[in-house]
Amino acid sequence: MTIDHSELLHAFRPEACLVAGALLVLGLDLATGRGRTAERRARNAALLGLLALAAALAATFAAAPSGPLAAGTMLLDPLARVTRAGVLGLALLALAATPGTLRLPHAAEYVALLLFATAGFTLMAGTTSLLLGFVALELASIALYLLAGFDKSRPESAEAALKYFLFGAVAAAFLLFGFSLLYGLTGALDLPGIARGLAAQPVSPLLLVAVVMVLVGFGFKAAAAPFHLWAPDVYQGAPAPAAALIASAAKLAGLAFFLRLLGSGLTAPAADGPPAPWTGAVAVLAVLSLVVGNLAALGQGNVRRLLAYSAVAHAGALLLGVLVSGRAGPGPVVYYAVTYGLATVGAFLVLAVLDGQGGAQAHADLAGLHRRSPLLAGALAACLLSLAGIPPLAGFLGKFLVFAEALKAGGPASLPGAIALLAIALSAVALYYYLIVLKEALVRAPAPGAPVIRVPAGAALSLIATVALLLALGLVPDLLLRRF
Amino acid sequence: MSPLQACLLFSSALFSLGLIAVLVRSNAILVLLGVELMLNAANLNFIAFWRYGPAPAEGHGVVFVVFALAVAAAEAAVGLALVIALHRHQRNVRLGDARRLHG
Repeated sequence: MTIDHSELLHAFRPEACLVAGALLVLGLDLATGRGRTAERRARNAALLGLLALAAALAATFAAAPSGPLAAGTMLLDPLARVTRAGVLGLALLALAATPGTLRLPHAAEYVALLLFATAGFTLMAGTTSLLLGFVALELASIALYLLAGFDKSRPESAEAALKYFLFGAVAAAFLLFGFSLLYGLTGALDLPGIARGLAAQPVSPLLLVAVVMVLVGFGFKAAAAPFHLWAPDVYQGAPAPAAALIASAAKLAGLAFFLRLLGSGLTAPAADGPPAPWTGAVAVLAVLSLVVGNLAALGQGNVRRLLAYSAVAHAGALLLGVLVSGRAGPGPVVYYAVTYGLATVGAFLVLAVLDGQGGAQAHADLAGLHRRSPLLAGALAACLLSLAGIPPLAGFLGKFLVFAEALKAGGPASLPGAIALLAIALSAVALYYYLIVLKEALVRAPAPGAPVIRVPAGAALSLIATVALLLALGLVPDLLLRRF
Repeated sequence: MSPLQACLLFSSALFSLGLIAVLVRSNAILVLLGVELMLNAANLNFIAFWRYGPAPAEGHGVVFVVFALAVAAAEAAVGLALVIALHRHQRNVRLGDARRLHG
């Protein structure tokens, strides 16, 4: 087993940029922060963090596609490259909006944690080893627990973080136990080795236990029903920019790791063999998430909880995409996840700006947003309509691609086809609850005396970029799809 | 019963105990302990599979356990910090009292 270190350094350049950036942010704040105002320190930290993210993004585009790296722990295929660029972009949008919206002491620590979490995401995007995957997932998760609890002055933030942590830790334990069984069955830790080991033996009860454990772990992390109970509390209690990251980039990175684990680890190499052992369980999770997410969102009076339940519903659609990815490739489902992430980041950033102006929890807090700030109202409308799947926004095409692949796989009578039809029917339900929110923002008159909202420059730029990307990806989907 | 089977039975029992602790305990610290039990059950599995598996010379299982222990330690540190953060606000660590967020 030999490792080419220069090749390795080249492949891990984005992660190196992120970690170096995080340490630099911490060190610089420690060295020069004394005597400066908190606002100035926050701005410096955010600027440095943005630079690190931009450098990582450039390194991602510069890295050449390659075969297995570092003794088969990393693979820079199109899935890894697109996911890496996607999580870096989403983190960039979430960070650019922080100055001026998130008024916290210790801004440097916030930025550093965000960069560490992003490093975890980019590692998850390309890993083909259970060990690296587990460590990357935990790197990202531990940083996200802290980001969720970062607003120490609010009891809600502490409660949200503790709930997120407890659910996440149990999920990690399930995942680790499942991984240990996979290792026991095959004696390998790299995904191709596991696939070879599994192909050489019949489907055993132990394998099914391992698959169920891994699915429970991922179900918790991705907030798929029936493991979604933490999501509404966390989205409601966490600082809005942190919730934006939890809801978008974490989902995209987790999806990439999950796709790779199921697709190249747990599937028998023969394409015409019996269906993979995970098909039934993933289908059950997809149906439950679609139904529970969409129906529970109907009864929500709190915008963030509504977004959380809509995230559960979208997790169901993503699982459907995973189900058909064996035949269609990862393109459609990754496109779905990227566009979903963009729209969610946009929606949470609008809430983050409103948080600085007295808070936004109930639907009624959004009343008259079009008068108070046309930019926020427009961005919120674009993001929610994209989540609902209205053309020409990118969310429509994401839904179309995933559902069309599911229907093509075996017609409406097959399992994926039936789930796709259910998802299409539930899209109408989803449109209803998104429109309720938009009615408050776009139609209602503002409460008397509600002040005009001044949007900080970073947040405004970030929102405009989000909407522009949603439109561009919706009109020219090849920007992303031709990379696969 | 072979030694491997005994190890697996023991680790499964440990995992179940940890899960039960997580589900029924209301004290956040005890829930944290349950999580640690679950993680260590998985570590035990790795060691057992490595020791009695086909290729003990490669040492993959042991390496995984070393990493998993480090991750569990980091997780416990963060978990205790979050428990303290909750304690500052509600003056106890009962999860049953942490119900500000609901809907």
